[in-house]
Amino acid sequence: MKKLFIVALALCIASGLWAQTTTLKMADPHPDRTNGWGAVIEQINAEFKAANPGVEIVTESYPDQPFQQKIKIYATAKQLPDVFKYWSFSTLLKPLVDGGFVMELNKADFAKYGYVPGSLESNVWGGKLYGIPVSADFWVIYYNKKLFKDAGATVPTTVEDLMGLAPKFKAKGIIPIVTDGKDAWPLSITYDVLCERVNGDFSRQQAALDRKAKFTDPDFVEGARQYVKFIQSGLFADDLMVSDYGASRNLFGQGKAAMYIMGPWEMGLATDSNFSDEFRANVDAFKFPVLKNGKGKADDLEAWFGGNYVISSASKYRDLDLKYLKYYAQRFPGLAWEKGAAFPAQKVTARDSDTPVAKTLLKILADAKTTSGTTTIDRSTPQFKEDHQNFIRELSSALITPEEFCKKIEASADKASKQN
Amino acid sequence: MKGLFGNGKVIAALVVPGIAVMVFSLVVPIGFSVYYGLTDWAGFGKFHMIGLANYRDIITADPVFWRALMNALILMVVTICIQNPAAFALAAVLSHLSSRFSRALRTVYFVPAVLSLVVITKLWVSIFNPTYGILNKLLHVIGFTGVNISWLSNPHTALGSVLWIILWQGFGWALLFYYTGLMTVPKEIEEAARVDGAGWFQAYSRIIIPFMFPVISAVLVIDVISSLRQMEMIFLSTEGGPGFLTQFVSVYLYQKAFVAGAYGYGNALSVLFVVVAVGLTLVVQQVLRRNDDAQ
Repeated sequence: MKKLFIVALALCIASGLWAQTTTLKMADPHPDRTNGWGAVIEQINAEFKAANPGVEIVTESYPDQPFQQKIKIYATAKQLPDVFKYWSFSTLLKPLVDGGFVMELNKADFAKYGYVPGSLESNVWGGKLYGIPVSADFWVIYYNKKLFKDAGATVPTTVEDLMGLAPKFKAKGIIPIVTDGKDAWPLSITYDVLCERVNGDFSRQQAALDRKAKFTDPDFVEGARQYVKFIQSGLFADDLMVSDYGASRNLFGQGKAAMYIMGPWEMGLATDSNFSDEFRANVDAFKFPVLKNGKGKADDLEAWFGGNYVISSASKYRDLDLKYLKYYAQRFPGLAWEKGAAFPAQKVTARDSDTPVAKTLLKILADAKTTSGTTTIDRSTPQFKEDHQNFIRELSSALITPEEFCKKIEASADKASKQN
Repeated sequence: MKGLFGNGKVIAALVVPGIAVMVFSLVVPIGFSVYYGLTDWAGFGKFHMIGLANYRDIITADPVFWRALMNALILMVVTICIQNPAAFALAAVLSHLSSRFSRALRTVYFVPAVLSLVVITKLWVSIFNPTYGILNKLLHVIGFTGVNISWLSNPHTALGSVLWIILWQGFGWALLFYYTGLMTVPKEIEEAARVDGAGWFQAYSRIIIPFMFPVISAVLVIDVISSLRQMEMIFLSTEGGPGFLTQFVSVYLYQKAFVAGAYGYGNALSVLFVVVAVGLTLVVQQVLRRNDDAQ
C-alpha cells in the first residue's frame, strides 16, 4: 500500500512537471480582440502557442491613454509585462530606456523583416535598438463617400474649402468632422500640420525645441490663428473637447459624422464588422488640405513611426520573448494588411482585393515628398507633451488667444530644453 | 480583568497591531511622498534631490494648483450652503409623512448614492452632451430652440455642470444622515415645544437643529473631506477641462505624476494636499466644537 502511494505520488509530481506551462504576460492598447489590430494579435498569439507547446499568453488591453498610464504605473511598481506594445517616442520609450526597463535588441536579428527605411532607427536610443516598429503613422482625413455625395460635397484640397463644407453637412443633420478632442493629442498634431501648411517646413518645430527658433515666431502664431479658425469654423461638434477616441470613432462609423481626422491605424474601419456594410463600402481618406496662402504642399506629410513592441528587461523568459518578437515581425505585416487592420512599418504588397481606403493610404504615403518625423509633442519631455495638450485644450475652448498659446508653448519648451 | 489591562505586554499586544496598520498605511506612504517630493523623479529611473524646488514652484508658479484648491472650496461652500439645507428640509418633510410613502421616497432619493460613480458620471455626460444629450433636447422642447450648450466643455457652464453631478450624487447620503438624525429627536420634546406655543420654525431652530448638532457636525466634516478629495467623477467627465476650469487637486496630482511623468512634483502636490486637508478639517472641527460648547 505504501509503495502504491509513493508511485502514485511520483506520477502526480511527474505529470505536474510535464504539464508545466510558461506564461508570457503581454499588453497592448487594442481592447477589441475580434476586429482590426487586436484580432491580428490574437491570431499571431494562437499560432505562436501552437508552435510552442507549453506556452501560454495572458494579455492586458486598454485604450491608448489609460494603457500608457498603466505602463508607467507598472514600471514604477517594477511589474512590467514580459512583452508589450508601446510607442517609440522620447516621451514614452526614452524614459523606459533611461530607467533600464526595456531589453536591448540586436538590429541584425530584425533587419531581414523588410522594415521601411528609418523605421527601425526610430527605436534606437544611444546607438542601441530597444524596440521593433510595427506601424507607419501619418495624419489624414477619413471621409464617408456616401455622405459627401448626399450633401453634394467634393473632396476639398484647401482648408478654406474644407471649412466651406460645414454648412452642407449641418443642413443634413450630419457632424462635418469628428476627432478625439478629449485626449487632445490629435488637436496638437493638427496644429503641427497647420503650422507646416503655413511655413512649408517641418523642421521648424524641432528648431524651436532645440532653441534655434521660438514658438512665438510669426509662423507659429499664424499656425495657431489658422487652428482657431479651423476649430471654430463649425466643422466640429460642440462636444469636441469631451468627445473621446471611442465616441468620435463611433460617430463616424455609424454615419453620424462625414469626416474623421486620424491616422492610418484606423484603416480597419473599412473591415470593422461593428459598422454597416454601407459605411464600410464608403469609407475612404484624403490628404490634409493646404492653406490657400500657405507655403505647405498637400504632399508634405505629417508621418512618423510610433507604435512599437518592446521586451521588459526584468522578464524571466527573455529568449522566449525574443522568439515571439521575431515571429511577430514575420507575421504582422502580412496579416495586418490582409485584414486591413493597420499600416505596417514593413513593406507590403498591394493587392486588387485591398479596400479602397487601404489603396488610398498607400498612395498618400507613396506621393509624400517630405515627411515630418515624430510629432512635436513626442519630441521633448513628458511634461512638454502634457503642457502642449493642456494649452491646445485652452486654445480650442477660446480660453486663451493664439498669441498667449504660443507664449505658453515657448515657456514650456524653454523649461524642457533645460531639463534635456 | 483590571490586572490584565494593567499588564504592559497585554496593552502592547492590543495596541501595536492598530498602530502598525496606521504606520504602514498612513505614516510610511506620507513619508515616502515627503521624500519623493524633494526629488525630480519621473516615476522610474534616476533622480536628483532638488530640495524644496517643487514646493516653491507649486506655491509661487502653479496657477492650476490654486485653481484646483479654489474649486474644492467652491464645492465645499455649495455643498454646505445648498445641498445640506435642501437635504435637511427634505428630510424634515419626509419625517412627517406616512412611513410607507416616506420609505418609498427615501429609496428614490438614495438611488444615486447606491449607483456606481462611473455609471452616474457616464449618465450625466450623456445628458449634458450637446449633440445627443437629453438636456438640450428638453430645452428645445420648452421653447429654447436656439440653445445648444456644450455643458461640460463650455467655460461658462463646465464647473456648474460638474458641481451639479457631485451634488446630485451626494444628496442621498446627506438626506439619509439628516433623516436618521431627525428620527432620533424625541417626539416628546417637539410636542412639549408645540404645547408651549412654538411654531415649526421655532421648534426647528431652537429645539430640533440644536439637538441634531452632532449629526450636522459629522455631515459637515464629511462634506469638507469629500470636497477636497474629488477625483473619479472629474477624471471620468472633464479631466479638469476646459483648460483647468474644473480641475481638482487629486486629479491634478495624478496627471502630474502618471501622465506628465513628474512623479516628484506629484508627490509634493500630495504632501501640500495632505497639509491643506488636515488643516481645513481641524479648523472646521474647532469651529464646530466651539459652536457645540456654546450650545
